[in-house]
Amino acid sequence: MNQHVVYDLKLQLSHYYAGPTAGARHVVHVAPLTIAGRQNVQSLSVNANPVSNARGDLKDYFGNLMTQFSHLSSHNMMQIEMKARVTCLAQDDLSDASVSLADLPREIRGYKALDAAAPHHFLGLSPRIMTAPDVAEYSRAIVQPGGSTLAAFLALGRSLHQDMSFDSMATTVDTPLDEAFRKRRGVCQDFAHILIAGLRSLGIPARYVSGFVRTEPPEGQERLEGADAMHAWVAAWCGPKMGWVEYDPTNDVTAKTDHIVVGYGRDYSDVAPIKGVLRASGVASVGQAVDVVPVLA
Amino acid sequence: MSNSTLANSGQSQSQSSGATTPELLSSYRTLPGVADELFASSGQMRPVWRQFISHLDQLGPDGINARFQRGNQYLRDAGVFYRKYGTESAEERDWPLSPIPVLISEADWSEISAGLVQRADLLEQVVADLYGPNQLVADGHLPAALIAQNPGWVRPMVGVEPLGGHFLNFVAFEVGRGPSGQWWVLGDRTDAPSGAGFALENRVATSRVFPNFYASSNVHRLAGFFGDFRAALIGMQRGAGEQVGLLTPGQMNDGYFEHAYLARYLGFLLVEGEDLTVVDGALHVRTVEGLRPISVLWRRLDAEFCDPLELNENSALGTAGMLGAVREQTLTTVNALGAGILESRALMAFMPKIAAALTGAPLALPNIATWWCGDAAARTHVLGSRDDMVLGSAFAGHWPYEDGVPPSTQDPDLEHILAQRGDALVGQERVTLSTAPYWQDGALTSRPMSLRVFLARTAEGWQVLPGGYARIGTGEDASDEAKRLAMQRGGSVSDVWVVSPRPVPKPTLLSSAKGKAPVEQKTAPPTRAADNLFWLGRYVERAEIAMRTFRAYHGLRVSGFSEFDPLPMLVQNDLLFTATSSAQIMARQFEEPLDGAVTCAARNRDRFSVDGFLALKELSATAHALSRESVPLDEIPEKVGLLLRQISGFAGLVHENMYHSTGWRFMSLGTSLERAAGMATLLARLLREDAPEGARDLALELGDSAMSHRALYIVPPSPASLVALMALDQSNPRSILFHLRSIQAHVEALPLPADSSVAVGKNSVVALATDLQKGLAATKPEALGPDDLMVLRSKIWGLSDNLSEAYLR
Repeated sequence: MNQHVVYDLKLQLSHYYAGPTAGARHVVHVAPLTIAGRQNVQSLSVNANPVSNARGDLKDYFGNLMTQFSHLSSHNMMQIEMKARVTCLAQDDLSDASVSLADLPREIRGYKALDAAAPHHFLGLSPRIMTAPDVAEYSRAIVQPGGSTLAAFLALGRSLHQDMSFDSMATTVDTPLDEAFRKRRGVCQDFAHILIAGLRSLGIPARYVSGFVRTEPPEGQERLEGADAMHAWVAAWCGPKMGWVEYDPTNDVTAKTDHIVVGYGRDYSDVAPIKGVLRASGVASVGQAVDVVPVLA
Repeated sequence: MSNSTLANSGQSQSQSSGATTPELLSSYRTLPGVADELFASSGQMRPVWRQFISHLDQLGPDGINARFQRGNQYLRDAGVFYRKYGTESAEERDWPLSPIPVLISEADWSEISAGLVQRADLLEQVVADLYGPNQLVADGHLPAALIAQNPGWVRPMVGVEPLGGHFLNFVAFEVGRGPSGQWWVLGDRTDAPSGAGFALENRVATSRVFPNFYASSNVHRLAGFFGDFRAALIGMQRGAGEQVGLLTPGQMNDGYFEHAYLARYLGFLLVEGEDLTVVDGALHVRTVEGLRPISVLWRRLDAEFCDPLELNENSALGTAGMLGAVREQTLTTVNALGAGILESRALMAFMPKIAAALTGAPLALPNIATWWCGDAAARTHVLGSRDDMVLGSAFAGHWPYEDGVPPSTQDPDLEHILAQRGDALVGQERVTLSTAPYWQDGALTSRPMSLRVFLARTAEGWQVLPGGYARIGTGEDASDEAKRLAMQRGGSVSDVWVVSPRPVPKPTLLSSAKGKAPVEQKTAPPTRAADNLFWLGRYVERAEIAMRTFRAYHGLRVSGFSEFDPLPMLVQNDLLFTATSSAQIMARQFEEPLDGAVTCAARNRDRFSVDGFLALKELSATAHALSRESVPLDEIPEKVGLLLRQISGFAGLVHENMYHSTGWRFMSLGTSLERAAGMATLLARLLREDAPEGARDLALELGDSAMSHRALYIVPPSPASLVALMALDQSNPRSILFHLRSIQAHVEALPLPADSSVAVGKNSVVALATDLQKGLAATKPEALGPDDLMVLRSKIWGLSDNLSEAYLR
């Protein structure tokens, strides 16, 4: 059992357009969630600059906070700023209460509901998780069929962490996961998508988690990769008792007080930090600045 | 899961129809184990056909062939086409109408209708549950995986109640008759079903093939259905003075003709995603008058593509924020976004039990036996009966995996595939459809057939379109219907006549009491439509100028000028702007604008007359033919003269016949701007002091003003007389001033662009046009030299830019 940690969180997303644009609409997924037993949000603001003509705040299907901004008058660039104070609650160390891989299909079938946390959403294909025969074959080679779901999850995650290199130049936000896997290189999004594809090929429900990790490590620990931008990791469903377990394949750690959750989805497309549709122009460049600083208690 | 079967029962007989068989039925064969529409299983002709067959018999093969020509002629004149996707491009094809209608008795039709109304109600309950409490999943009537992994399940719609309370307002079903005579549902179409407009065209064409017989027959009419549906959509609007929108994916879609046709027929506004925008939570159309609210969309665009922000992010066909408007209950889409999940084939496996659970009654009309392979017992069954099965995607729409098509039942790896991808697969019983008459080589022959039946929710509940649409297969083998009936792979379509034993009401849409008569659209066109019409005007005029110049150049060459002589060289360099004197290359100067004109007109099929469109296509085809065949030099002027007469014919057609709407004004503005600027260029180039000899006569020829000049001036053409006539004479329809006056009149009559965000308003456009016109009217011929003409030309283009900025952005 570790200690809870309070963070002051700041994110700035900048979109510079190719030309002046009248008529832009954006959807952002940047605000941390309050999750019982996991994290509490004490204060929160999400704003656009220039000030939007209209905004709408709502929860999406998966329970994530989503804000829509629309700008009618002409502008050259747009910034989104999110500020929040979040407490990450102390977590017990993991003990394996997951079902065996052999029993998993029966447990999934027994889950007769379609709530946001239901395992059914997170199997099969989703917009950015296509079939990847190479990943499936790799996963079969790593995972022992007789074991537990959690053991399979962590074994595959650790193996990918070892075999893949973090490389922010190797892929872009739109690189398909099989290509990143072929290169064995990528960023947190690629690590997460590849692990999800592998888990789903084994019949393990897996979802994409978008969020933040702390910028500077506690004393004596290594700095986490992905701290200078929004981060992504993976949750797998380990049966009705254990539920969803979060693991960060980029850093080979289970998510505890260093990881702050913004949203859950089938893949990146459900929780992309920002999506936009511009009229008569395109986005020329984007920028992201993140600060995740623990508040001294 | 249904255990009953639509497969061969082996009970039907093949029989000839007895001694009274008319000659045209001599080669008509019914097949063992296959029901037939013309002959009952007893071998007797079904009573509903008797009169019609005897009518055909009286006409005889030659008479019938002549009649069929009439139907085809109608379809060609009406410009009915669909788009067929080839391996590399999409091409327009004539509508493949089989002119022999399928006749169905009123008794059969009542059975079908009652079953489909029950099914539509049931589907409404299912879809409301899938986006609401999900009780069907909780109670085990539907597997959660089938819904959660279904691309047709639109998550943002979960918890949203559609405005008006219904997900379904317009649905279609594929229906076929099995060997035992029983009707079966083969497929549900609930997202954006197509074909209702083609049903109307089938009827119009077929009734022209059999005018007298149809008029006196007791065939149920189609207009009443459309009138009531139209009234229902109008009744859903939030504000007075709105127009119902018909949302189309655009002219590259296979059904674009139908969309334009229905919009015209029903008086709806044909819109594309880019015409729409969401402001203050409500959907609006961008028009040349600014934003106009729109609260009802009959959607012919699949839900997936409707909103790139919340649905498929790669869609360029939708409108960002549309889903938000639905959520805010300011917009009704017909059908609701997400209703397409009901098209999932796997749903058919569960419908019999769902029907029993929700209504306490069985399905009045069964659907084909289906097994969802996510279930272990179903997998075993499918494997065991693989020879009688067809495998398909369990979900709505296409097979989601990259290999493109579902596996075959004969795949040696089937067991493994079913275990891996069972959730995404269904096995469906291989169906044997009934056959119906088809005209081939002077006689009737039997072909497999299925019906597409349309239902609309109206004030009185579901109404069924009585007939109109059947698909006719290509071969005599009635099994494997999917392959044989898909129109993209051949096959044809026929009208369906529902025949009553009693006289039927004969409403027409115009006389329908419930819907207001559709009127010519006087409302402002969407910005995109106005822009297309503006460019249509410009392109046609630009083509005409280039044709005249091209003809003049070759006229000079034929009369003995060499390509090195100064006058032809001036024409080539300064008027045709081509680097070579090759006729093929020069011809591009009018071929390209003509292609542009055809494209603009094709995007506006709802606002542009069929005759006009066909004339334009013909013109473009003639122009291309001219450059393809290598015409001897001395014949070129004459051939181009022919083209010029065609283009004048087109202009006349448009200006004589087109309603003088705002859209027409934009087209006329395009014409006048191009002509005024073109004339300024021409005069500036040809009246230069250093212009070679003959340039002034050439100016008159190119300006089509030689006759006027002879009539008005006794002297030979001088720069002053040419400018007076071709720039400053307001009575000469070729002069610059004439067109600046028309431009001024048109912009004064344009509506006020209400959009405050545009930098240039109507007033500044009117002021520019007025200044330009007045300035030119006050100019003396001597004061308008070549340099002044070039300045005038750039002012004309400046006016065009301002007009576009104010109205067409």
